[in-house]
Amino acid sequence: MSRSIYLSITLVAIFLGLIMAFQFRTTSAVDKGVPFNREQELAMDKKQLEKDLSQLREEAADLSAKLDEAGKGNQIFALESELAKQKLYAGLVPLSGPGVEITLDGYEHARVTPTPVHDDDLLKVVNDLRGAGAEAVAINDQRIVATSEIRLAGNHINVNMVRLSPPYRVTAIGIAATLKSSMEIRGGLVEYLSDRGISVVVKEQDNVSIPALNSIPTFDHAKPVQRG
Amino acid sequence: MVGFLLALIGLSVGVLIGLNAPLVFPQAYAKYMSVAVLAALDSVFGGIRAAMEDHFDNKIFITGFFSNTLLAAGLALIGERLGIDLYLAAVVAFGVRLFQNLAIIRRHLLKK
Repeated sequence: MSRSIYLSITLVAIFLGLIMAFQFRTTSAVDKGVPFNREQELAMDKKQLEKDLSQLREEAADLSAKLDEAGKGNQIFALESELAKQKLYAGLVPLSGPGVEITLDGYEHARVTPTPVHDDDLLKVVNDLRGAGAEAVAINDQRIVATSEIRLAGNHINVNMVRLSPPYRVTAIGIAATLKSSMEIRGGLVEYLSDRGISVVVKEQDNVSIPALNSIPTFDHAKPVQRG
Repeated sequence: MVGFLLALIGLSVGVLIGLNAPLVFPQAYAKYMSVAVLAALDSVFGGIRAAMEDHFDNKIFITGFFSNTLLAAGLALIGERLGIDLYLAAVVAFGVRLFQNLAIIRRHLLKK
């Protein structure tokens, strides 16, 4: 009888110690753990920081490449290449390359009622060509740049303050097939202009040459804002 | 006196096993375990009290210990499922009994 009492006391004591120790370990593990939403928050922060890091690394690589060039005594070369790039952007360099030549005339092939080519017809053509990825556009050898106007003035159309008279020859450099198809797409400009009685001829060309802007834009009134 | 020694030895053996065992209870079960520990403690103190009052019954002690422990954990589990903090009932009930038992044990010790 007394032996079984001792046995049960020992058993109970072992069990009690066991579950108390387990409970102790579990609760200390809880304290060490990170709450779930905090974990999520940190994961998002980490992702953002990794993105920032890769961007900053790219920037650093770019800047160090430029610094290298400057350090090698190639400042003049660097400046010249920068100048050439800016001239290219401003349209001050004559260009050539594959592209299309579009001829518009209101009077030659007047199947319907003859209509003169309007300034907005040319604007639409230029707009479409730019939309199709044209890198350079000119109308009758007048380069279209950021400040160019296309404006009806009497019987003529002014581009870059120069009077143009029909037929209008729009040249563009880009992927010739893309440029051509953007014009000739069903419901596109060729269809629209033909309906209006304007003859449109689109020709793909291997080599289109586009002249530079022949008047340099002046800034007599606009002054750059000085930034402190 | 032998029983007291055995209890101490058993307790330390249990704690040693519990601390060194490779498995850790998942956090989700911590609530049930805590109530079970409380019930077990209550049973042990009840047993000590019964021994001091000289009506210690081994069967009652051992069945009471395990049934209280399981019942407390089960109550906590059911409460969790029902959305009621039923484990609070176990905490209160066993807590009150624990203090009662302790008070009685103290009185017995003082009477000696």
